[in-house]
Amino acid sequence: MRYIIGIDLGTTNCALSYIDTEGHSDPHSAPPVEQFAIPQLVNPGEVREESLLPSFLYIPGPADFSAGSIAEPWNENPVSFAGQLAQKRGAENAGRLISSAKSWLSYGGVDRTAALLPLTAPDGVGKISPVSASKAYLDHLREAWNTKHGDDRFEAQSVLVTVPASFDAVARELTAHAAEQAGYRDLVLLEEPQAAFYAWLEANPNWREQVAIGDLILVVDIGGGTTDYTLIAVTEEAGELRLERVAVGEHILLGGDNMDLALARVVEAQLNAKGTRLDAMQLNALWQQCRVAKERLLDPASEASDHGVTILGRGTGLVGGTIKTQLSRQQLNETLLDGFFPAVRSEEMPQVRRRVGLQEIGLPYAHDVAVTRHLAKFLRQQASKAEVGQVRRGPSGLACPTHVLFNGGVLRAGMIRDRVIGVLNSWLQEEGFEPVHVLSGEDLMHGVSRGAAYYGVARQGRGVRIRGGVPRTYYVGIETSMPAVPGLPAPLKALTVAPFGMEEGTDLQFPDREFGLIVGEPAEFRFFTSAVRKDDAAGTMLEQVTDEMEELAPVEVNLATEGQPGGEIVRVTLETVVTETGVLQLWCVAKDGRRWKLEFNVRERVGQ
Amino acid sequence: MSRIGLAFRSFFAILFGKGLPADIAQHFGFISRVEAKPAAAPKPAAPEVRPSDGALQMLAILQRDARLIDFLMEDISGYADDQVGAAVRSLHEQSRTALARYVTLRPVIDGVEHTLTKIDTRDPGSIKLLGNVPADGKASKGILRHKGWRVERVELPKITPGQGLTILAPAEVEIE
Repeated sequence: MRYIIGIDLGTTNCALSYIDTEGHSDPHSAPPVEQFAIPQLVNPGEVREESLLPSFLYIPGPADFSAGSIAEPWNENPVSFAGQLAQKRGAENAGRLISSAKSWLSYGGVDRTAALLPLTAPDGVGKISPVSASKAYLDHLREAWNTKHGDDRFEAQSVLVTVPASFDAVARELTAHAAEQAGYRDLVLLEEPQAAFYAWLEANPNWREQVAIGDLILVVDIGGGTTDYTLIAVTEEAGELRLERVAVGEHILLGGDNMDLALARVVEAQLNAKGTRLDAMQLNALWQQCRVAKERLLDPASEASDHGVTILGRGTGLVGGTIKTQLSRQQLNETLLDGFFPAVRSEEMPQVRRRVGLQEIGLPYAHDVAVTRHLAKFLRQQASKAEVGQVRRGPSGLACPTHVLFNGGVLRAGMIRDRVIGVLNSWLQEEGFEPVHVLSGEDLMHGVSRGAAYYGVARQGRGVRIRGGVPRTYYVGIETSMPAVPGLPAPLKALTVAPFGMEEGTDLQFPDREFGLIVGEPAEFRFFTSAVRKDDAAGTMLEQVTDEMEELAPVEVNLATEGQPGGEIVRVTLETVVTETGVLQLWCVAKDGRRWKLEFNVRERVGQ
Repeated sequence: MSRIGLAFRSFFAILFGKGLPADIAQHFGFISRVEAKPAAAPKPAAPEVRPSDGALQMLAILQRDARLIDFLMEDISGYADDQVGAAVRSLHEQSRTALARYVTLRPVIDGVEHTLTKIDTRDPGSIKLLGNVPADGKASKGILRHKGWRVERVELPKITPGQGLTILAPAEVEIE
């Protein structure tokens, strides 16, 4: 194993960074991180290397491309392909395009192993599952690597893949599955905000001079599709600074794409008011143009009051059909800063709308688009006993970070960063604290993959590691034995099987709780998680499932063993394992030592 | 030609929609005689690179990425300057990006225009002399009026077999 490879499997873009462990002699410092240029189809018949691989997958039809024009260096005639061309052609023919596969991967409302994407595909298009789509991106990266580094096969290198901190155990397991199917060996999963922080550590070898014991670092990661928060505390152990990830946020489907689309809608409305109608392709062009206009206007050096938005005429009449309008700074401020980043008080919580009745299948996008309100909720999360003395809190109980680190494409815009800092500082002032220090992220687009590669080296003992463990508490539902009441489900108790902070490479047994499982019949347990309840110790039995818990896909096990007759009852106890690679597993263990792994059953739709 | 050869050529020609090659059709008596055409039908064998291929490719790229052909072919005499300007601004940026991606351009003489410059006589084809040109056509210095352009590198994508280069932009038909 020569290389350590870090992969950012993003909602809208993927990136790959790597470290060459040979040719670097100093055993005490980490070798430099390099960015891998990813070959991909950018036009029919044209493969080019780009630093990002757009996470778009296109399933070409017979009429899409001429023969041989979508050959990839590793596949003459792909059934589907990822990257820039997929994104471009997909805009013209949405029925064959898969996007946001990652968001589907974390959505329990559908069977994530069922072939359901593209959602709007006409009959006859070979649909694939969210897991297979994620596998396709991972396949692309592996093949691309092998094309360029033939002597050091990808499969023989150490690989780290990042997932949002807010991914629950099921989504993490599905990501690991996808990687396994893509031929990844010895995979390690890492949380994205942690990876972003590792990237900062890598860029700042003198980091010990920049933070001190008692400091609390807030990582705000706003990518194309998701918003992710994490708190990292600086503590001390045996005279050494120690970094500990003390909290992660909920899964928020809200990102840069929502913002660009919102701006496009504003400009579209302005055109409609003048009697100009746009077709689907022009709307798409408008979306791109608004993104450019946004970035120009949000540049801190820009003083322009507006930025032109030009949509060229459709058809061959280019000048004649050109529609010209502009995005003004006022519109931008109202839509983006006040809409997505409003200056709110720290008590303001995101609005929640109960989902009622029949609902069209679709991603559960965040109902409240105010990123700052989600941040307030995150910082008001219930404190855990373990964090006492580590997390600085104000008189009102708000967690008060001393430092903030930004990551993700949205936060490249200086004005958005300034707004987040401003809101945060107003909360800190109320709690009687000094303003936050901003840690400068070097490269907001590639930070996560760079940090992942750095973490790979840190795991080998050549760099500092953030301690974290399981970022949520997990429970198994246990039906109480009570006389059945017609029309009412039996009340459910919850057994704490993985407490918050359970560390990688540890396991827990629950010898007091025995279950009788029948050989040959599948047994199923309901499975719950909570990002809020942090003090439930392992083995604690809660009398009922509360609102603070969220139901995940159930876990099931089948005790079919060879040569054993069905019908026999085996008494088993549960065991929880968090692997070294960060995957949570549940096992049934019999007295004689036989073990069966409980698998997530993602086929069942979980109520939201 | 062997029968296997004929069979293969017919098979692929029909498969890729080009129809039965005329010489084969004639061989088997499907048509009586090949009509003489000024432009011979493309041979199904390995496509040879024609001098026009690169030019067609570049035109297609400028159309695809910047819609330059649409612009040049449009009659813009009736439009007001600001309407033309609005379109050109985006077209200019996209053309420039497309050009820079596939062709690397450098000035022939990297100097300041309208100032005195030395003339490198090693490559006379790269410099055009204007004004009071000496009888022998040789001079060592003069005023730089235009820096000139030199192509340093061309990196056009490989042409895939079956790619119709004469189609600079396919007609677009939206299915309702």
